[in-house]
Amino acid sequence: MAKLVEMRGIVKRFPGVRANDGVDFDLAAGEIHALLGENGAGKSTLMQILYGFHQPEEGEILIDGAPVVIVSPRAAIAHGVGMIHQEFMLVRPFTVAENVILGLPGERGGWLDLARAAKAIRALSARHGLAVDPAARIEHLPIGVQQRVEILKLLYRRARVLILDEPTAVLTPQETVGLFAVLRSLAAEGKAIVIVTHKLREVMDVSDRVTVMRAGRVEASMATTATQETELARLMVGRDVALRAKKAVREPGPVVLRIIDVRARDDAGYEKLRGVSLDLRAGEIVGVAGVDGNGQSQLAEATMNLRPVESGRIELRGVDVTRATPAEHRAMGLAYLPADRRGVGSIVEMTVADNALLGSQRRFTWGRRIFRDESAICAHAARVVSRFSVRTPSLDFAAGKLSGGNLQKLTLGRELARDPAALVVEQPTRGLDVGAIETVWAELLAERAAGKAILLISAELDEIFNLADRIAVMFEGRILSVLPAGKATAETIGMLMAGRAARRTEECETLG
Amino acid sequence: MNGGMIDSAFFVTWLTGAVRLSGPVLLASVGEIFGERSGVLNVGIEGSILLGALASYLACYETRLVWAGFAAAILVGLFIGLFLALLYVTARASQVVVGIVFNVFAVGLASFLYQASLGAAASPEIVPMLEPLRLPWLSSLPLVGRIFFNHPPVLYLTFALVAVAHVVLFRSRFGLSIRAVGENPKAADAAGVPVERMRYVGVMLSCMTGALAGAYIVLAQVGMFRDTIVSGQGFIALSIVIFGRWSPWKAAAAALAFGAADALQLSLQLFNSGIPPQLLLSLPYVVTILAISGLFGSKARQPAALMIPYVRN
Amino acid sequence: MARFFEERFSPSNSQAAVAVTTVVAIVAAMALASPLFIAVGADPLAGYWALLREAFATTRGFGFSLVRAAPLTLIALGTIVSWRAGFGYLGFEGCFVLGATAAAWLGLHASAGLATGPLSLVVFLPFALLLSFAVGGAWASLVGVVRARFGGNEVLISLMTNYIAIFLVQYLVSGPMRAPGGLPESARLPRETWLPFIIPGTRAHAGVLIALVACGLVWTLLRKTAVGYEMIVAGLNPAAARYGGIEVGRRLILAAFLGGGLGAIAGLVELLGVQHRLVEGMSGGVGFTGVVVALLARLNPVAVLPTAIVFGGMTVGADAMQRSVGVPSSIAFVLQGLIVLFVLAGELLRRYQIVFFPLRSRARRKAIV
Repeated sequence: MAKLVEMRGIVKRFPGVRANDGVDFDLAAGEIHALLGENGAGKSTLMQILYGFHQPEEGEILIDGAPVVIVSPRAAIAHGVGMIHQEFMLVRPFTVAENVILGLPGERGGWLDLARAAKAIRALSARHGLAVDPAARIEHLPIGVQQRVEILKLLYRRARVLILDEPTAVLTPQETVGLFAVLRSLAAEGKAIVIVTHKLREVMDVSDRVTVMRAGRVEASMATTATQETELARLMVGRDVALRAKKAVREPGPVVLRIIDVRARDDAGYEKLRGVSLDLRAGEIVGVAGVDGNGQSQLAEATMNLRPVESGRIELRGVDVTRATPAEHRAMGLAYLPADRRGVGSIVEMTVADNALLGSQRRFTWGRRIFRDESAICAHAARVVSRFSVRTPSLDFAAGKLSGGNLQKLTLGRELARDPAALVVEQPTRGLDVGAIETVWAELLAERAAGKAILLISAELDEIFNLADRIAVMFEGRILSVLPAGKATAETIGMLMAGRAARRTEECETLG
Repeated sequence: MNGGMIDSAFFVTWLTGAVRLSGPVLLASVGEIFGERSGVLNVGIEGSILLGALASYLACYETRLVWAGFAAAILVGLFIGLFLALLYVTARASQVVVGIVFNVFAVGLASFLYQASLGAAASPEIVPMLEPLRLPWLSSLPLVGRIFFNHPPVLYLTFALVAVAHVVLFRSRFGLSIRAVGENPKAADAAGVPVERMRYVGVMLSCMTGALAGAYIVLAQVGMFRDTIVSGQGFIALSIVIFGRWSPWKAAAAALAFGAADALQLSLQLFNSGIPPQLLLSLPYVVTILAISGLFGSKARQPAALMIPYVRN
Repeated sequence: MARFFEERFSPSNSQAAVAVTTVVAIVAAMALASPLFIAVGADPLAGYWALLREAFATTRGFGFSLVRAAPLTLIALGTIVSWRAGFGYLGFEGCFVLGATAAAWLGLHASAGLATGPLSLVVFLPFALLLSFAVGGAWASLVGVVRARFGGNEVLISLMTNYIAIFLVQYLVSGPMRAPGGLPESARLPRETWLPFIIPGTRAHAGVLIALVACGLVWTLLRKTAVGYEMIVAGLNPAAARYGGIEVGRRLILAAFLGGGLGAIAGLVELLGVQHRLVEGMSGGVGFTGVVVALLARLNPVAVLPTAIVFGGMTVGADAMQRSVGVPSSIAFVLQGLIVLFVLAGELLRRYQIVFFPLRSRARRKAIV
């Protein structure tokens, strides 16, 4: 069967990284093709190229055997390629019909013909089991139904290729079953479907073929029936994990931070933490592995009450801090390094000294804590800068102009300067060069040796394996398993990250 | 206190005044509805009204033709709209800052151009104005005729414009697209709607109706130009847009409410009642504030992307 | 991996660069306005010279420039305090008139209530300042609370509060506080409440000193106090502020209170220094020109007073310019507008985007690779 879509030798570079390094990908009509990989694998970039968001530097795209250049999403649609993003592109106060016809030339000159659109929508709905009321407003629809509207939009525009980016991220299990039925129906009609995912369930349940990507390259591509989950997990995370950091074996001390059955929602209101429990002891690093988007950010924010905890408890050194303010958390010895170091962890418009002050602004004062004690502030900043080797021309330098590594060292140093008992770090080395990574790792290990409890949330398995004493894997808002580092292999962790519990034959502890 | 003076004559005078006063601000608000629906808050509408008033006065002064005045206003509004849209949309400057600065600048420019064109004339000259238009059958209706149908033609045209605006906004492709741009520009962009172009159109409509409102004041109400002829009508138009939930007919009702409060305080002064007129004048503002304060549930259904510049990521 | 990176309006630019851009903007504006002179048959250079000389080189003219600058400075300071904390307040017209009203009320009733001898300025002024500040601050705080607790749009709401305040004063001045005589104005305040002249031969009054002191206080607040630091962080990056333990809502309300208070003092200064009675229409748009002055000064409290003097001076010199070369005095407003436009354009060109803190937190997008 001739291929509907062929992508050959795609190369795409972003500053500092080769997102796609000579990638081949093809798609046949009537097949459901899973594109599997973890963060940074390059799968989203590849599909964004197919959808016209980016242009490849090298390589070509063929549709129906003829080379095409896709300059924009509009061009992609014209070629019959449609994409559904994780963040739905729907206008919430509009009805389904209005969303579907938005941007399309009308039948009746400049006037809307919602009745005709509704009829067409109902026909499409019936054909593919996409039950939707054309007159319903998006804001009143559950997320699973909103996804159906996105699919309808593509079908209405006669898309032949549908790309779905992490489609089950926001669905309940029942909704997932419904979605898979729709996808099968569409494939039976000859549509080609790509599912970009990191979840093995999606691959095994619904796909005909699977392509695994890692670090910008295609690791393997085969029929789903010709492979198993363990093989896929291994391909996804790779076999070799370079162990660079040496750490001494330590006996962990008493429990410092307890997270007990915590539930929380994200900004859009969806439940992101579904009962997470974890204990953190002094002198140990617990690594939380998992693909971005499974609740890690929400967990980190919840520990400091930057995100309200709906049920459950957080205890710091025995004290219930679930509802304590961030300032109180700090005072009681919790430090937090957010993933968004430019957006949340620092204030890029302010100086290095003022950034070092964040969180301690009431401490370095005089006159009944009203006036800034400039010399103390400078001394504090100087201490942070020198201890953590932050390279900056001066303390008055704008923090936003520091390199990523130096900014991270500054924020880490700021948090550690308070001598916290527990430290929650999220993606600490994202975007840093090798030298900076080594420095940050060394610091974290030093804190561990000094008896601090560290919760390390990272999507980089390298980092987890190098630093963690115990490894917890988060998937869909829960901790699937916690393994001692010695017992964890890339394969087992990879499986867990992709949603499959470890096999019975392997020893593991599961908490919560 | 006069118990017996509040009779039908009072009501007629009052309501006629309400309708009369509501005209210009309603006109300005119609275009602003499109601007805000596309996501742009045009604080500079005040300056547009002023410059439109000046343009219409000068044009009418030269040609002695009323309709030349309106034409001049439209042209001026078009250019102001292009200029402001460049700053709001392309340069993505703060809409509030640009608007305020433009208003201050417009005051100076209007004053200067007026003085330069006509010299420091001791008494400003009155230009030909629009007379109230008597409609064949409607104007003779007992009460309703006097209240609604004894106004200059621009008032009827304004209400006609409201009707047209309503249909366009809610029943046409253009209206759908412009509403999408103001709610979720990313989604609109993904669907192929030209976001920047839509916002340009919205801002230009706002400035054009603003300038026309200025012409309305000069050519159908006052008859001449003064520095102080426009003092807050632009901000009232902004309030009307909010009070009217960004919807043309509701804005018309809101404009009548503002006009009614204004007319009531004039009428009450005539009748020497004890109610402070300023209380009534403030009422529409208080109500509008309560409506958008967020105190009562969904913080107004304001266009979600209002005042947020759009950058394609 | 594009990150949508916004640089907010912050005066961390080098002072030299700011001064240079301002001067360039002024020169460019003057150049651009020259054709307007020529169009009415006037010599631009002679005109500018007359303006500058009258406003700054003559004692009397400079005195007037200072008088104009005082309320402008205070409103600009109010703008700085509120806007830099992320609170886009535009209700200064209202605060101005309410502050003037409070001071007028106190001035008219003070001598009556005093048990110890006649009124003196030394006693009266501190109380008047406190009362005005409190009234203006409370007025603006209402909007602050609506914004902090309910998420209302403070730009639109504060614009409308101006009207309510102005109507309130109109009512007072036509009714309860009206002086016998029929005009909508209050009685004249007793001489003891008048701000004394500070430069002999001019009408520059002590309000200028009040403005100067306020500059110092605002500078100290923002640069030298922990609370000021917290307000600035809250304005620059509310997410980071919350993370840093700052109670953003409280700082916002405080910023509203201080901004409104400063706006009210502007009214007091105008009342006690120039008008000496409460009149309708006292503000004359200063609530907005003050904001413009703040923008010109790049929201930097140190630059406000000189900027206000230059700005106010231009209005003062305009009449002299008209007398000398025959160009309409309102060209000064055109000049002012052009200067501001050029300054802002300069800022934009240097790739700073002046964006208000949006009402809802925006999810920071990370490109998923």
